[in-house]
Amino acid sequence: MKRLLPLAVALLATGLRLIATEGYDLQTILTGNSATSSRHAQWKPGDGLTLEVSGLDFMPDGKLAVAIRKGEVWLLDGVLGPPDQVRYALFASGLHEPLGLLRDGDSLLVTQRTEVTRLRDTNGDGVADEYLNAAHGWNISGAYHGYAYGPKRDGQGNLWVALNLDMGERTNNQAAWRGWSGIMGPGSSFLPMAAGTRSPCGLGANAAGDMFCVDQQGTWIPSTPIYHLRKGAFFLNPEGIASQERPESPLKLSAPVPNKVPYPEALRTLPEMVPPAVWLPYHKMGRSGTDLAVCPEGGKFGPFAGQFFVGEFTDAKVSRVFMEKIDGEYQGAAFPFLSGFASGVVRLLFAPDGSLLVGMSSRGWSSLGTRAYGLQRVRWNGIVPFAIQEMRALPDGFELVFTSGVDATTARTVAAYSLKSYTYLYSSAYGSAEIDARPLPITRVTVSADRRRVRLQVAGLRAHYVHELRADGVRSANGTPLAEPDAYYTLNRIPRSAE
Amino acid sequence: MRRGLGFGIAALLSVVGAHAEPWVAGFERFHAAAPDAAGGRLLYNELGCINCHGGDTGLPPRRGPDLTTVTTRARAAWLQAAIADPARQRSGTTMPDLLTDHDAAAAAAVVHYLGTLARKNPAPPKKIAHLNAELGKIVYHTKGCVACHAPQANYTPPEGRPAAQEFSYGPATFPALAEKYVVTTLAAFIRDPLTARPDGRMPRIEMEDQEALDISAYLLGIAGSDGEGAPKLPPFTASLALAQRGQEIFNAARCAACHPSPSTPAVPLVPLQRPTGGCIDETPTAGLPRYALSSTQRAALRAYLADRTAPVTPAQTVQGTLAALNCLACHERDGQGGPDSARKSYFLGDHNLGDTGRFPPPLTGIGRKLQPEWLAQTLAGKNRERPYLKTQMPLYGAAVTQLPALLAASDARHETTLPAGDVAAGRKLLGTLGGVGCITCHPWGERPSLGIHALDLANLGRRLQPGWLRDYLINPAAHRPGTLMPSFWPEGKAANREILGGDTDRQIASIFAFARDGQGLPEGFPATSAREFELIPGSRPIVLRTFMADVGTHAILVGFPAGVHLAYDGRDCRPALTWKGRFFDAYGTWFSRFAPFEKPLGESVVAWTAPSAAGGTRKFEGYRLDAAGVPTFLFSVGGVPVAEHFEPGENGGLRRTLAWNLESMRSLPLAHPRGLTVQESPASTPGKLEFIYTWP
Repeated sequence: MKRLLPLAVALLATGLRLIATEGYDLQTILTGNSATSSRHAQWKPGDGLTLEVSGLDFMPDGKLAVAIRKGEVWLLDGVLGPPDQVRYALFASGLHEPLGLLRDGDSLLVTQRTEVTRLRDTNGDGVADEYLNAAHGWNISGAYHGYAYGPKRDGQGNLWVALNLDMGERTNNQAAWRGWSGIMGPGSSFLPMAAGTRSPCGLGANAAGDMFCVDQQGTWIPSTPIYHLRKGAFFLNPEGIASQERPESPLKLSAPVPNKVPYPEALRTLPEMVPPAVWLPYHKMGRSGTDLAVCPEGGKFGPFAGQFFVGEFTDAKVSRVFMEKIDGEYQGAAFPFLSGFASGVVRLLFAPDGSLLVGMSSRGWSSLGTRAYGLQRVRWNGIVPFAIQEMRALPDGFELVFTSGVDATTARTVAAYSLKSYTYLYSSAYGSAEIDARPLPITRVTVSADRRRVRLQVAGLRAHYVHELRADGVRSANGTPLAEPDAYYTLNRIPRSAE
Repeated sequence: MRRGLGFGIAALLSVVGAHAEPWVAGFERFHAAAPDAAGGRLLYNELGCINCHGGDTGLPPRRGPDLTTVTTRARAAWLQAAIADPARQRSGTTMPDLLTDHDAAAAAAVVHYLGTLARKNPAPPKKIAHLNAELGKIVYHTKGCVACHAPQANYTPPEGRPAAQEFSYGPATFPALAEKYVVTTLAAFIRDPLTARPDGRMPRIEMEDQEALDISAYLLGIAGSDGEGAPKLPPFTASLALAQRGQEIFNAARCAACHPSPSTPAVPLVPLQRPTGGCIDETPTAGLPRYALSSTQRAALRAYLADRTAPVTPAQTVQGTLAALNCLACHERDGQGGPDSARKSYFLGDHNLGDTGRFPPPLTGIGRKLQPEWLAQTLAGKNRERPYLKTQMPLYGAAVTQLPALLAASDARHETTLPAGDVAAGRKLLGTLGGVGCITCHPWGERPSLGIHALDLANLGRRLQPGWLRDYLINPAAHRPGTLMPSFWPEGKAANREILGGDTDRQIASIFAFARDGQGLPEGFPATSAREFELIPGSRPIVLRTFMADVGTHAILVGFPAGVHLAYDGRDCRPALTWKGRFFDAYGTWFSRFAPFEKPLGESVVAWTAPSAAGGTRKFEGYRLDAAGVPTFLFSVGGVPVAEHFEPGENGGLRRTLAWNLESMRSLPLAHPRGLTVQESPASTPGKLEFIYTWP
C-alpha cells in the first residue's frame, strides 16, 4: 500500500473540489488509474489494490467490507480516520463479478453473477472459508451484461435482488428472470416479484422500509427512473417479460405492451404498469443512475434526513431525491447535489458517523471522473447549504421548503420562478427526448411567516408529467442565490383538495 | 451544463500579440539572439519562401494544410476571416497576408472555391458517446502537446506551474478554436494531423479516439459529458459563381505554391533576383505576400540570401531539421535543446528512474547509437521503448524520411570492432547468478525486471550498434547525464573478473551476442508467470469462478500448487475439466467488460462426461475451504447432501472423494474423465467413494 500513498495524497488536493453544494467536503480514501481509457478492450488496472467498488457495508466491528468487481471482498479498517492510516485485508476472493454486498448476522451476502453467496469466517482467522449458495435460480447465458445486484433488506426483512437484462453476444432474455427483481426465498431460491427493469443497478429501502431501485436510460427507458419495488409490478422494459409465463411469476400483463406512445398513454393502456416514483431527467440529472442510499436521521449529514441520495456513473455525480406519498403512492422531486467525484459513482453507503462513502469504477463505460476507480467520502462540515429541501405537490401547485429562511422580497416575486412540464415517448428506442413540453404560469406566490416555505400556485398541472422548476430568482435571507435552483418533480398524482 | 466545470482555457503565457511575427520555435530559440545564415535558412524553409522561390535548404518541405478538405474541417466563416487576415485569426501564423486590404469578399470567394474542391468525407465522424474535458486537460498537458502549445493556467503539474520568464520560446498559438472547429473535426485533426497537414509540423501523437475527443472538449471548453449535444459543423455549400472568382484569386495569389493538391495546377517558381527587398522589406510592394517579420527574422533571412549556395554539412542539415520539426523541444542534441526550464515541469514519468524516467533521451550521437533500421522504425512510430515516459514520441510522416540517413552520415566515426561474443557468457552476464545483474533493473521482453523498471533489453541486439554500446557501458553517465545506471566496466575495466577472464570487450560483445542470437532468458528470473494476470498457485490452492468453454457459466476453477487443476460446474454439480501445468490467465475474468468464455492455460486437458440424471435434481450448495484452502463442493441429489473433494494425487494425478449418507441414497450416478486412468482407492467404500485419476 505504501506505493499508493503519494498518489492518494496528491489527489486530495484536486479531489477537494466538490462542485455545487457548499457544506460538504470530499476526502479521498484511495483511488487508482488505468493507463488506458475506461472503454479500452485491453483495460488494465494501476498498481496496488484495484478498488473498483461494487458493494459496501459495515461489519459489526466497524470495518468496512468492500466488494470489488474483479471478485474480491476486502475489509478496510479505519476508513473513518485519516486515509493514510486505513488498513486493507483480503476477506474473500474468486467471486464472479460481485455487484452487491450486505452484512447479514455473522456473514456477508454477496451477489455474484450466478448466485447470492453467503460468506463466513468460521475459524476466526479473518478470512472467509465458507462460500454457500444463498439464492439462485435465474438464468446466466454468458452475455456480458447479465449482471445481478443486491441484496438489500426491506422493512419486512426481505432481501431483494435485481437482475439485469442480457445484452451483447449470447443474450437470452427469454430465459428465467432477466430484467426482474425479487427476494431471496427458502432453500436458496429466488422469488420473482417485479418485472420490467433494464439495468437495475442499485437497490435501497427508505425509512419506512419500502424497497426502491434505480434503473438506467436505454431501450424502453426514457431516462433514469427510481421505482418503488413491490410484488406484481411491471415497470418499463418488456424485453424480459417472457418469464411471466413461468409458474413462479406473480405477474401477467393483461394487455399488449404499447410502443411509440406518450408515457401517460402507455400507463393507461397497460394496467400492470407502475410509473417510477421519480424520473431523473437525462443529462440534467446525469445519465446512468447506479445506487440509492437513504440519509439516516440525526442530522449528521445536514438537513436531508430521510431523503435518497442517488449515485450516477457517467457524470460522476450524486443527486438528491425527496419523496412524499400521494394517495398511497410515492412520488417526489430530484435535485442536483454533488459532482466532481474521481470516477463513475457505483455504490453509496452512509457510515455510522453520518458521512457518505462513495465507491467508484469507470471501467467499461465512460465517466467524467479522471480516475479509474476508488473510494471517497463526503462529510458535512456543519454549514447548512441554501437549498430547496423539499418540493411537495399541492392540488393547485407546489410547496417549496427551504433549508433556511428566504428573502421575502425575492421569494414572493412570481418572476423568481419558472416552471415547465413534459413527459417522454414510451418506445423500444434508446432513451427519449422530452416531449409535449409546456411552460406553466405561476399565478400566485405565498411566503410563510417563518420564511421557510413558499407556496406556488400554478395553472395547468399535468398528471404523469415531470414538472421542472427553476427558482433562480430566490435569494436567502442574507442575499445568496440557490447553488442549485433546479428541481424536477414527477407528478404522477395531483393531490386532491381537502374539501 | 450550468453546473459544469466552468473553466475557460487561459494560457499560462500571455500570448496575445506576443507573437505578431511568424512562429518558428527553432528560430526563436536558437537563432533570434544572434541572427545568422543558418537561422535564415530555417526561416526561408519554414515561411514557405522556398515554395515560391525555389532552392535547396536540405530541410523537410514546409506546406500549408490540405485545402481540398478544409471546408469539411473548419467553419466557413472562420476560413474567410483567416484568408482575409491570417495573422489576425491566428497570431504567429506563418501564412503571409495575400489579399489587398484584407478583402473580405475576395476571401469569401476563395472559400467557395475551396468548397468546390471538397471531397466527400469518406468516414463520417462516429456518434460521440461521451466527452470528458477534465481527462482531456490531463492528456493535453502530459502527452506532449505542451512541447509546442501553451500550458494552460487551469492545470498545475506536480512541481507547480512555471513562471512566464522560464519559457525559452513562445507557444504555437491556437486560433479561436470554437470559431474554427467543432468537437468532432478538432478531434479528428488531433487524432491524425498528418492527413490535413502532411508536412509534419503538427506531428501525430498516437492516441485513442476518445483521448482526442477529450482534448477537443477541453480546448473547446465543453463541460459535461454530453457529446451528442455538442455543436455540429454547419454544412457549407459552395456557390459556383463565387467559386469561379475565388479560383481566379487563388491562382493570382499563388496559394497552390504552399497548398499544392491534385486539383490545383502547379505554380511556376519566381526566381530571386537579389537578397534584399521584395517580401522581406518592411513595407513590401503592393501585391507581394506580406509577412509580419521581426527585425531579427529579416536579418537572418538577409544573411542567408546573401549566399544561398554556401555548402552545408550533414550536421547542419540535421540541426536545421530538428529545429524545423521542433524535435529539440523534447530532445537535446550536442548541447542544444531539450525541454526548457518551463516545459520540464510537464514531462512526467517514473520517478524511480530519476530524470531518465521523465525526459526523452538525448539525440547526441543517435546516428551511431541506433541501428539504422531501428532508427527508421522509431521515426515511423513502430517502437515505443520507454513506456514509463508519459510524453509520447509523435510521428512526423514524410518529413523525417531523410533523417535516418542524415543522422548516420552526421554521426559516423571510426568504431572499435568488438571481438566475437560468446552467447552463453552473455546470458550469464545479463543475469543475477554470477553475472552483472542487468535484469535487476531492466525487463527482458515480457519479463518484468526484479527491481525498478528501466528500458527493456530483449531487443538490444536489434536496437543498438555494438560500438556505441561499448562506449555507453563503460561510462553511462557520459552519454546520459543523470542516469542511475552505474558502470560495471569503470574506466574500461570489467568489475566481473570471473566471466571471460574479465575481458571488457568480449564481455560486452557477449551481452550483445546473447541479445541478438541467444535463446531463452538471462539467468535469475524467478519461475513465474509469462502473462501479467496468470494465476500461479503458491502455497495454497486458488479458487475462482468464471465463464469457461466446455464447463459453462458456473465454472469454479481450482488450481493446485502441485500443478494439477480442475474446473467444476457449479450448475450441474459435477467436475467438468482437469488439466496440468499452468493454471489460468485471469485477465478476461477480472477486467474484460465482455466476459469472454475462458480456456485453461495448461496442457493435457481432459473432460468428464456428464453423469446420468438418475437420482434426482442436483442443487449446488456452495463450498467450504479447509485449513489448507482446499475446497469441498457441497450439493444435493434429490435432496440428499453430497460432499465432493479433489486434491492432487499420486503420480501427478488427481484424487476425488464423494461422501454422502448411504442410508438416504444407495448409489450416486458418477462419471470419470475421458482418457485418464481411473483407479478406485482401496479405501473407497459405498457412501465414501475415492478415485485416483492419472494421466497416461
